[in-house]
Amino acid sequence: MAGGVLIFAEHLEGRIAPSTLEAIAIGRELASRSGGPVRVALFGEKVRALADALAGHGVEVLLAEDPALAEYTPDAYGQAAQSIVESTRPRLILVAHTSQGYDLAPALAGTMDLPLVTNCLALRFDGERIVATRRLLNEKVQAEVEIASSRPIVATVRPGAAKAAGPAPGGIVTSTTVRIDGSKVRTRFLSIERPQVQDIDIAGADIIVSAGRGIQKKENLPLIEEFAKALGGVVGASRPLTDMDWLPKTRQVGQSGKTVRPKLYVACGISGAMQHVAGMKDASLIIAINTDPSAPIFEVAHVGIVADVLKLLPATLKELKS
Amino acid sequence: MPLNIVVCLKQIPNPDLQFQIAPDGKDIKREALNYKLNGADEYALEEAVRLKEKSAGRVIALTAGPKRTEQMLREALAKGADEVTRIAFDEPAAYDVGKVARLLAAAIRTLPHDLVLTGVQSDDLVNSATGGLIAGILGLAHASVVTRVESKAGGLEVACELEGGLQRIYSMALPAVLTIQFGANTPRYAPLPAIMKAARQPIKEISPAALGLASWDAVSLPYTFGVRGLSPPAAKGHAEMITGTVEEQAKKLAQLLREKGFARR
Repeated sequence: MAGGVLIFAEHLEGRIAPSTLEAIAIGRELASRSGGPVRVALFGEKVRALADALAGHGVEVLLAEDPALAEYTPDAYGQAAQSIVESTRPRLILVAHTSQGYDLAPALAGTMDLPLVTNCLALRFDGERIVATRRLLNEKVQAEVEIASSRPIVATVRPGAAKAAGPAPGGIVTSTTVRIDGSKVRTRFLSIERPQVQDIDIAGADIIVSAGRGIQKKENLPLIEEFAKALGGVVGASRPLTDMDWLPKTRQVGQSGKTVRPKLYVACGISGAMQHVAGMKDASLIIAINTDPSAPIFEVAHVGIVADVLKLLPATLKELKS
Repeated sequence: MPLNIVVCLKQIPNPDLQFQIAPDGKDIKREALNYKLNGADEYALEEAVRLKEKSAGRVIALTAGPKRTEQMLREALAKGADEVTRIAFDEPAAYDVGKVARLLAAAIRTLPHDLVLTGVQSDDLVNSATGGLIAGILGLAHASVVTRVESKAGGLEVACELEGGLQRIYSMALPAVLTIQFGANTPRYAPLPAIMKAARQPIKEISPAALGLASWDAVSLPYTFGVRGLSPPAAKGHAEMITGTVEEQAKKLAQLLREKGFARR
């Protein structure tokens, strides 16, 4: 049966990515309104157990196992995805907006000449159209865009945009064969590299004082360190600082760094880009200091201070010592 | 092997600014914005120039945008691009990434390209889609969120960043499209003589006719796209704000930290 929603699952080292379960939740919700099946395509080698686990969420799992799919590569997974789209003709293709997801989805749309909308917070059908809610310009503007097409529409959904799908009955696993032309696989998987940990592990800290671009100069880091020390905490950072090598990569909080859940998180001069917030939003108490009153960090913080961190921290240190 | 490299650049409104919605609700107000080279594209440009320097190759910087993007292209020349080309696509906002990617792909077809680089995302529209679309449209190998590129035996070895700090390493064949991640290198500053020289260098312009189109509206798309409306995001929640002078704020913050048991004394 054509139509419905097709989701491409993501897994690494024997585990389904949490964002895949969120995409399933979004797919189930959309299909409950528009009708049509919810199918999840799972690629890999010897991943039957993962397929069974996914089927426990009430979806049909299209399982394609092939040695060429043992590890993700853009070419092999791209070919497999194309093969599944051609055989199922879904109305909507959902992929989580992860490093792997936004590698796969745009290339699939380009290869098959399909419409594409990415990094969506929400999706809904409106008659013939699909309406996507997105965030622009450092989370400061929300946009609704619409796409209409007779072809399957490819959409990526931002991790954290929905709660993970819970268990549901009625799921099945269907083994599927996909065509992979080895002569057209130009990317070859070599290895997974892990960060070398020779630093403190901020993921275990109770108190984290993190610095962002608002500290302006590397020379201002000692101020952050002094403040962290006064609170008995450690120093973390937003991505731009570790990119500039002001602090080691191990200190980076966010989607591409560490996810932390301290008792206290002080965000100093951090605007609150989605990539950072994903790594610290579950802290028990978040205090944000930023000069920009419209900075999105104030949406997730419990306590906010519009101030120059370079002035506020010395004044606060003085207060704490008095 | 000398590499012919095309690096796709985008000029964006500085995302650190505050934005207002235009009266028709379809765009932001653009009268008073200042524009800059997109953050990730700075790294893509630097990576392109480094790979060119190692291989005695050539870098063409390419953009699709209005006249104001010439300033960014001159910056690219000053930082080491050999040639710059502007697709004279004047739509100021260009919300449909599929359309822009199709224009870029059509232009890249007319240029020598062993390697196409883009930034991993633009900080205004945050699609992370342009590079992948171009790869798909042109049928090129590709890799995304690249933090490291090395030339190896006629191909490349690349490191791609995953969530949680992991990297996936591939070897891949050329020609290829790579989207470059923030922090992949340290972008250079343009030396003054290069800035002076760039001011005099020509900027190639591509019209719709050069891509076989009657107008920019004639781009063939498998869909219709529209912006329904922009709005300020509904705040999920908002922090309780500590106001006053810096001294007053500091006093209240210190008090709060003591109350919650975080201050050591």
